[in-house]
Amino acid sequence: MASITLRKRRFEFTPGTLSWFALIGLLLLIGLTSAVIVFKEGLVVTNLSNGVPWGLWITIDLSSIALGAGAFTLSAVVYIFGIKRFRSIIRLAVLVGVTGYTSALLTLVIDIGRPDRFWHPWVYWNIHSVLWEITWCITLYLTIMLVEFAPVIAESRLFKDRPGLRRFGHQLHKVAPVLAVAGLLISLLHQSSLGATYGIIKARPIWFKPSMPIMFIVSAIAVGPAVTMAAAYILEWVSGKRIIAHDLLRTIARFSGLALLVYAYIKFWDLLAVTYYGATPGSERAFRTLSLFSAYGFWFWVGEVFFGLLVPVLIFLMPRFNRRPVLLVFGALSAAAGILINRWNITVSGLIVPVSYSPGIEYVLPAQAYSPALVEWGVALGVVGYIFLVFTLATRFLPIFETSDESKVVG
Amino acid sequence: MKRPKTKARVKLTRRDFTKIAATAVGSSVAAYLVTTGPLSPFSNLKRQQISPDEDTHTPTGVHHWGMAIDLNKCIGCEYCLRACSAVNDVAPDKPWNIVVEDRTANGQRFYFSRPCLHCQHAPCVEVCPVKATYVREDGLVIMDYDRCIGCRYCEVACPFDARKFNWEPRAEENEFVPTWGVPEVERRPRGVVEKCTFCVHRIDAALERGQTPGEAREATPACVNVCPVGARTFGDLNDPNSPVSEVLARYPTIRLRDELGTEGSVYYIPVGEEA
Repeated sequence: MASITLRKRRFEFTPGTLSWFALIGLLLLIGLTSAVIVFKEGLVVTNLSNGVPWGLWITIDLSSIALGAGAFTLSAVVYIFGIKRFRSIIRLAVLVGVTGYTSALLTLVIDIGRPDRFWHPWVYWNIHSVLWEITWCITLYLTIMLVEFAPVIAESRLFKDRPGLRRFGHQLHKVAPVLAVAGLLISLLHQSSLGATYGIIKARPIWFKPSMPIMFIVSAIAVGPAVTMAAAYILEWVSGKRIIAHDLLRTIARFSGLALLVYAYIKFWDLLAVTYYGATPGSERAFRTLSLFSAYGFWFWVGEVFFGLLVPVLIFLMPRFNRRPVLLVFGALSAAAGILINRWNITVSGLIVPVSYSPGIEYVLPAQAYSPALVEWGVALGVVGYIFLVFTLATRFLPIFETSDESKVVG
Repeated sequence: MKRPKTKARVKLTRRDFTKIAATAVGSSVAAYLVTTGPLSPFSNLKRQQISPDEDTHTPTGVHHWGMAIDLNKCIGCEYCLRACSAVNDVAPDKPWNIVVEDRTANGQRFYFSRPCLHCQHAPCVEVCPVKATYVREDGLVIMDYDRCIGCRYCEVACPFDARKFNWEPRAEENEFVPTWGVPEVERRPRGVVEKCTFCVHRIDAALERGQTPGEAREATPACVNVCPVGARTFGDLNDPNSPVSEVLARYPTIRLRDELGTEGSVYYIPVGEEA
């Protein structure tokens, strides 16, 4: 097999790599076991219920897609806005994107009640459904990223003896600008629609607002590139080689910081409009329920605002902080955690507040409760293992950073 | 930065002006045509789904099945819940029909029951990514259990909590069978969302036999038949002589959360409005 021939070439099993692979193996084992349990027993093994039908897994889908947004943002920077010096990080950004999107699809297949019908949205169309549109966009965009990534695979040592394939890979480079435009449009659409998934639900007052899609897309554009930047630094530390110029990474961090400020601004007005100036009985009741029955307020202020906005903005924008790679990586992880907590807060908070429809004034459904079951965490760990595995294999065996070859061909 | 010595003067000839003006007007017209005008791919959809002029009480078909529930009559016996659960073989802990106790703003106690409201602009139908649920020509909101992928978005979107997901395969005995009826439809498989159908199997079969749903018992939903106080009335909203139309003509009625514009097919006679 391919891996055996590759292992002969250069693959040392140091204690470090061994324990790393052992960790990945363990995570994958946990994930696989959990997935098998879910497929066999049904979703009854989760803590999801008819009151809270979406939970941790949907949070993972939303977050991994948002955090993969560096791919389309940086591709647009290079191929549409023509800022060529970012070209060296494109491949890494696309790798982060592919990893994020495939993680989301993996989790989705486990999350739906009938995984055997995963293909239905492609065949049975409901063009009025944002979820249908998201499914299509994600499929198309994943295809675009794979085409963007194909030259990297074609250049790898795996295909050293296949010049035809390599030439084909180089041909694909020429359509990169077209792919970038298509990728930009499709990404803007589905990253926003993920917010609209909640924003259009008129039955639930704390979701039903037009700011939802905007906050989703802006936060994705802000944090996606920062995650790619963090990945570059971490790879540099692991491999011991300076791979991507530090001033480039710092520019990305500054961009992220500015975009986070835009996000903070929209969030600020959203909060003010929904809870103060434009408060409705519905939203007030919902927030009262949340403050009584959940730690929503704590997670909002500490998770989303402090770690998700304040910390990364300060680190990314203040010159005394953004020259230190360790702090930049910390800032990116903090911002990513902010995204995760935000997506969790939106999904779960919207659902633990029950819908209200009785013509009387006394009957209300009880506030719902949800915390993920062990098996749900198991699948989450499996996804983490999958991300580690893809990253390790790709950076070890694929020419993610060898752009000399490409630049000669494309010019 | 050095300032350029000679600024290139922009000269706007009449020809250029005409060109620019024509482009601006042309693209505005094109934009209008494609977005909201007759060339829009969504214009038909909009006409069907959000036009306020359209008479939403009339589905495209001949019939529009609907129900009236008199909140003054309901005694909270839960017979409707039981008969429904038996006839449709619904899991007793996840009923399609609910019955609860409630109170009006001036303190009057009453019982409130709720089937699926069969909205003509159903949020669940709009969000389903695969059209596994749809509004039929006769107004019924029906599930295609062979198409549902179990994403549960409809459950999240329904304002009335009227949808239930099958979290596990069902093998248990139905405690309401045979006391309250015998199953007339198959149990739904694991992994799909299910809901009240207004006993569509009875309606469709009866129409073929030439019977009238709402009048002939075997053509009427189980919950309506079993109600000991006659709180529920069923029939064709399009037919002015149907039992439900007569109730609607006689009493003032409300629909649940009418402000959402979902256009439900279930009408309630509010407390204190009895003749």
